[in-house]
Amino acid sequence: MTLRALALAGARAVSKYTGTVIAVFVVQVLVALACMLGLWLVLAQVFAHYPRFDDAVDGDIVALIECVRFAVPALLANAAIVVSTLAAWQLATWFLVGGLAGVLAQRPDGRGETARCFGADGASTFLAYARLALVALPGWTLVGFVAATTLHAAMPRVETALSLPQLLGPIALALLPPALLLHFFGTVTDYTRIELTLRRDSHDLGVLSTYLRTGGFVLRRPATLVHAGLGWALFWIVTAAYLALSAGHPMFGGGGALVLFAVRLGVALVRHVIKVSVLAGQVELGRVRPLPPQRPTAKLAPKP
Amino acid sequence: MPRLERILIAGALAAAACSGTENGGHRVRPLPTPDGLPALRGDQTPRSARAASYTIDAHLDAVRHQITATQTLRWTNTGASTVDYLPFHLYLNAFKNEQSLFMTSSHGSMRGAQASASNWGWIELESVQIAGVELGKTLRHPADQGADETVVELPLPAPLAPGETIAVDFKFVDQLPEVFARTGFEDEFHMIGQWFPKVGVRVGPAGAETWECRPFHSNSEFFADFGTYDVTLTAPATEVVVATGVLVAATEAPGGTRTYTYRAEDVHDFAWMADPYMEMIHGPASVDGGTVDVRVVYRPAQADFAHRHLAAAIGTIETMSKLYVPYPWRVMTVIDPPMNAVEGAGGMEYPTLVTTSGDSALARPGLRLPEYVTVHEIGHNWFQGMLASNEPVEAWLDEGVNEWADARVMTALYGARASGIDWRGWQAEIAALRRAIAEDPESLPSPIASAAFAFVDSATYAEATYSSTLRALSTLQGTYGAARLDAAVKAYAQAWAFKHPTGRDFFAALQAGLGEDLTWFIDPVFERVGGMHLQLLEAACREQHAARGVFGQGPGRRTIGTGEAPLTGAYVCDVVVANTGTVHVPLDVELEFADGSTQRVHWDDRGTGAWQRFTVERSSQLTVVTLDPDRKVALASPVTLRYRLAGDGAASLRAAAWGASGVQTLMQVVGL
Repeated sequence: MTLRALALAGARAVSKYTGTVIAVFVVQVLVALACMLGLWLVLAQVFAHYPRFDDAVDGDIVALIECVRFAVPALLANAAIVVSTLAAWQLATWFLVGGLAGVLAQRPDGRGETARCFGADGASTFLAYARLALVALPGWTLVGFVAATTLHAAMPRVETALSLPQLLGPIALALLPPALLLHFFGTVTDYTRIELTLRRDSHDLGVLSTYLRTGGFVLRRPATLVHAGLGWALFWIVTAAYLALSAGHPMFGGGGALVLFAVRLGVALVRHVIKVSVLAGQVELGRVRPLPPQRPTAKLAPKP
Repeated sequence: MPRLERILIAGALAAAACSGTENGGHRVRPLPTPDGLPALRGDQTPRSARAASYTIDAHLDAVRHQITATQTLRWTNTGASTVDYLPFHLYLNAFKNEQSLFMTSSHGSMRGAQASASNWGWIELESVQIAGVELGKTLRHPADQGADETVVELPLPAPLAPGETIAVDFKFVDQLPEVFARTGFEDEFHMIGQWFPKVGVRVGPAGAETWECRPFHSNSEFFADFGTYDVTLTAPATEVVVATGVLVAATEAPGGTRTYTYRAEDVHDFAWMADPYMEMIHGPASVDGGTVDVRVVYRPAQADFAHRHLAAAIGTIETMSKLYVPYPWRVMTVIDPPMNAVEGAGGMEYPTLVTTSGDSALARPGLRLPEYVTVHEIGHNWFQGMLASNEPVEAWLDEGVNEWADARVMTALYGARASGIDWRGWQAEIAALRRAIAEDPESLPSPIASAAFAFVDSATYAEATYSSTLRALSTLQGTYGAARLDAAVKAYAQAWAFKHPTGRDFFAALQAGLGEDLTWFIDPVFERVGGMHLQLLEAACREQHAARGVFGQGPGRRTIGTGEAPLTGAYVCDVVVANTGTVHVPLDVELEFADGSTQRVHWDDRGTGAWQRFTVERSSQLTVVTLDPDRKVALASPVTLRYRLAGDGAASLRAAAWGASGVQTLMQVVGL
């Protein structure tokens, strides 16, 4: 399959299952809102009576430093909320990706059938995805090790940099190897999930063996890496464009906060669509992979 | 030559060659033109007692990083008591081994730089003579010095009476360390300070003077007598050499070297630099009808920053000359060390010569760290260079007072709001930034007025000496006004320039200048542990009405209820403020009301107790209470000083929304 075909498959899937895509996004937004609520409660508990925090949020650097130093425990609590949110979202992702991949693979018609398919596939692959997370750990560890090594090697140049190119150049060079490795292992994980979804009913799918076979598949099909890489490139372009456009447009007060959140939701939705489109393309490509070993036929005892 | 040595030298040459390629390669520069000026501006009469004057002839071996030198010290007993020995600092021995006081107190680390495990530094006295008689064998280390070798004592053949002068001749060799604490080398860069035998200072009341010459501790800097320096420096012709004072002569010398002769007057130290890649820019600073030639030397890669340092240096000299006493010397040289040496060599002050730092990719124009370092180091030419206080014993008197003066200079140069940051719409005042990142003085276990070596650790030393002193003087500035405090500090500077003032002298000058006994402030702020701990204990209003209840007895008993005593529409508001700290400073309390009106009350809790209740009647409710609305007091946490009675979570919501959007981006990165 060509990259164009993969992109078109993504677009088709998003347009056919718009409701499902939006529903998943709503779940994501709800999790983000729950996180926002937690952050808000902690901050308001500490700062609601102190206008100095208003100054900090409005861009007073000195006030910001003062408030950070004043409320370190509260900020640690907020950090815990953020980490917990990310961990919870990771768990939710196993279910949601399983459901979405199932829908994209089986292409059900009608809202009810799509929902049934989504739920069934999300639930049935959840534990396999959990095992996959464990199997993938050595890869992520390798990425971390390479990143630490290359960044350490770049530090002397970074510490003595006198211009932004001198600063960012070595950092970018240092991050390139771990980024490529990260992309490779991420793509392998994506296609392993799809394989576990597509073939779980018909084939013998040990998670580890599937992960290893998928590594070979990704290496033999560079299009998998290019396709996923284009998706990430689009993701970051959208993010960077938003940051560039929003610079210099602070929104003050509680109303401004909500407007800001809504605008950012729009950006997040665009990125979500990009990610689902990539997933749909991966499902299409996953269909044409060589089949794994057949599941041995079990001999069942006749029921009395 | 031993094989290992050959290998080391070859390695050094190879490294030099590589480094040279990066920096444009070695080249013989045009012979510098002597300054052709006297060392002092204007009137040439000595500004100081010139008790310790040095004539030095030094040769730099830039490959071995060694200096061989001869030195003649002419020391005059300016006290009223007889002297029977001379103590000398041998500062470079701080880097001789791990048993020096400097290394044990610093653990081989200073301001982020680490001591080299192999390139140690030391100074060795090969000969010490008085009147041609060799006295090297009579040298002794002070009994209480342990393994430290940074002080040596020379018993005199005959006691030296008051007013008498003695000449001591030295031959010595310096091995420079790899630079991590002000002095040493890094590749081909040589920053040479604290490198010659330096006599101590007689202190104390007339007739009972004692020597002040302490071992070199990592927290403490330097203390020396004023004098003249005639120094001849010989270095390879490819080196750019700059030094304290004016260049009197520069000549070619045998072996591809050059000899530079410098003279400095009424200074108490001499430092120099040699580097083959430095460039120089310069400009005039206008002082008192004349000019000072301000120079910045820098590696070519740092050219953009050199111009920033030059502007800051000129501005500092002009501003401090107006604020305190005019800069007395002809030149000022600012060295911008190469980036691989800046942690060790950057940010140090010597008379007429300083090293700066702050250059980095993140120090964009408007982020004024490079300027601030230059202002600070040049500021030391007043607060220590001229006002030569005892740094090991009263570090706050130069570092802390200078820190406060730096903020005044930064404000004068860049405006109050943008004195620290003025970048992409973000602005911040330098003194406020310094306070914001500093520890609360109340949390420090040592008072400001502690000896540098007596602090529990270097972090506490730095916080108390620099930040807490800045806070204290900023509080006095807020309380008495900038103009009055400037005038008081100016009087102090004029009275004590080219002498050795103490903290007592500084406080006396402040009290005389401000016209008030400041014991109430000086004692708890400088001499004791503690700080301000301001709290708003209560802030509430109740609706006003006449008294209700049962009044009178028998037939005359009356019950007054809401009908007879209705609400008047006014409010009675109680505000209770407290200060449970050890420092008590008068301050204003501003009350804001719902109708937009404000009312100020004054609270002076000096000797009146730790709390005060204010009751006010107004036609509208109290909404905000602000302790110290004009931010005069820099000793308390500013976050809690302004209190809003009704909580408002809008800012928190905005911050949470911003944070949650970031979290959602992360969610999309790690998950679906």
